[in-house]
Amino acid sequence: MAEVEEKKEQASGTGTLTGAALEAEDVLAGAEPWAPIETKLVVWSFVIAIIALVIGLFLVPTSVLH
Amino acid sequence: MTDLANRKWYTGMLTQEDWWAVWLGVGFFFLSLFNIVGIDLVGWMTYPTKWVLNVPEGGKGAIGHAFYALGKKYSVTAKGFYKGLGWWSVIWTYVGFTIATCLGAFFMKWNMKRFFVGWTIIYFLTIATWFVGHHAFIAANKINMHKYGLNFALNLGGGGSFILALIVGLIIGNFFKPFAQFLSEAAKPEWYIKTAIVTLGVKLGYLPIKLAGMSQKLGKQAAGITFDLFVAGAAATIVAYMIFWPGVYIISRKIFKLPRATAAVLGSGISICGVSAAVATGGAVKAKPVVSIMVSALVVVWAVIELIILPGVFTHIWPGTKDPLVAGAAMGMSVKTDGADAAAGELLDEFMRNKVEVESNGAIKWPEGLITSSAVMTKVWIDMFIGIWAFVLALIWCYKIECKPGEKVPASEVWHRFPKFVIGYFFCWFFLLAIYFGPGQGGAPEAMPFLKTVKAGAVPVEKGMRKLFFMLTFISLGIITDFKKLREAQFGKMVWVYFVALFFFIIPVAMVIAYLFHHGMMPPNIAEFVVK
Repeated sequence: MAEVEEKKEQASGTGTLTGAALEAEDVLAGAEPWAPIETKLVVWSFVIAIIALVIGLFLVPTSVLH
Repeated sequence: MTDLANRKWYTGMLTQEDWWAVWLGVGFFFLSLFNIVGIDLVGWMTYPTKWVLNVPEGGKGAIGHAFYALGKKYSVTAKGFYKGLGWWSVIWTYVGFTIATCLGAFFMKWNMKRFFVGWTIIYFLTIATWFVGHHAFIAANKINMHKYGLNFALNLGGGGSFILALIVGLIIGNFFKPFAQFLSEAAKPEWYIKTAIVTLGVKLGYLPIKLAGMSQKLGKQAAGITFDLFVAGAAATIVAYMIFWPGVYIISRKIFKLPRATAAVLGSGISICGVSAAVATGGAVKAKPVVSIMVSALVVVWAVIELIILPGVFTHIWPGTKDPLVAGAAMGMSVKTDGADAAAGELLDEFMRNKVEVESNGAIKWPEGLITSSAVMTKVWIDMFIGIWAFVLALIWCYKIECKPGEKVPASEVWHRFPKFVIGYFFCWFFLLAIYFGPGQGGAPEAMPFLKTVKAGAVPVEKGMRKLFFMLTFISLGIITDFKKLREAQFGKMVWVYFVALFFFIIPVAMVIAYLFHHGMMPPNIAEFVVK
């Protein structure tokens, strides 16, 4: 695991692709129950998207509104 | 290992691929500017042209001219010298870029011997593939195939070489694994593509100068379109970004019942920007390190699949040549690695230009690079947001989900996650725009001799270097892509999350948003100015 940690930190922020990234182990089990903060997170993301969309459509000269 | 706590703003300038993409791209860009004072230092960059074994009488395509130094066509001061290089330009280019890339490899502390040998093999494989891909049977279209004595051609333009390079890489990566492993020290698709993206900034800045050579009005039109892409790309990206992430997060959590941290990393990897975002988010939400690595692996493999499928779908099904820049922008929001996206954009560019030329029987020709730019522009904006989103998630996880007393997230994380190659891309673009609007007087006739010297330097970089690095990217992507990994049991559920999210959510949403912000934008028609 220490080796994997090191690989991850070396790649951190660089976007580096290497064949060494193609290693795997099972981390798919143990889903926690959905929490209220997750609802807030996704709802606010969608709200920001809609606001950005409306503003963008009005402001960007190449949008379908113009 | 870098001590993360003691990182300074300049940490990594000599040791990260991102920064070395800037040094390479901007370095050669500056060398190209010596043309302004009459010294051509970049005209040796090689470029292929279509060829056939038996040249028809009065036709084109002699094999002896299959590679030439770009200075032969564009140099103002050394045309004669570069004309004599011919195929030797391949060696000159090898020497020039071997010195530059080995310098980067040295500072990034890679294994120099393995890099040098691997780079040499990959370079000459690239040249061989480029050569084969430019056989007129593959690259010519209905309009020009008769010049090469052909009655049928595959109509793939320069895209044929890219596909061939990817196939060669995939064959090595999947059937000659020990060889692929040996080459892996030099098979660096992200580095090559980021370098190509910096030179794409040169391309964007050079477009107005190029079109000003045809007419002053066209030059100003090109400058306007590139700026429109910049603004529309930013708006589309913010909207897409804020829809993609929660959508994928919900799919992962509610439909596939994945753990919270794994879903967050997948959300970033699939919806935002592949490897960088997966690694950044993995760190932010403190996911098990292997999650970021698994998602990165999936991103790489799926990006290659998208690269194979999407350019053809966007060209021939929807939106086609009626909305080429919508297709480009949608590509940038759909393909999740810089390498595969820019490569897919380049392929799309080739396919679209070829198709419109054939459909209009030569009456419409678009300048190359604008469709690629629309794909890269949205991707570049997405890249810039990685740091911000990783920072937001780190805050939420730190203060709301996994609350630990005294723990803080420094604002400097935004800078450390920022994709530095973007700086080089914008720098080159704005630098050339400043030249165009400054001493170039917006393409006024009296400034054309000066702009011609700028062009003599810009073309080898934006054409020769950029295309070469695209080819290197395609071949390297293939070399590091192992489809067998997708079949491995551990990936099972993640593969399906990725498939469902990508094809039933990300791509459709990307197409709609790209349409909303880019519909109706068209590249200028340069057919009447191009010598047939």
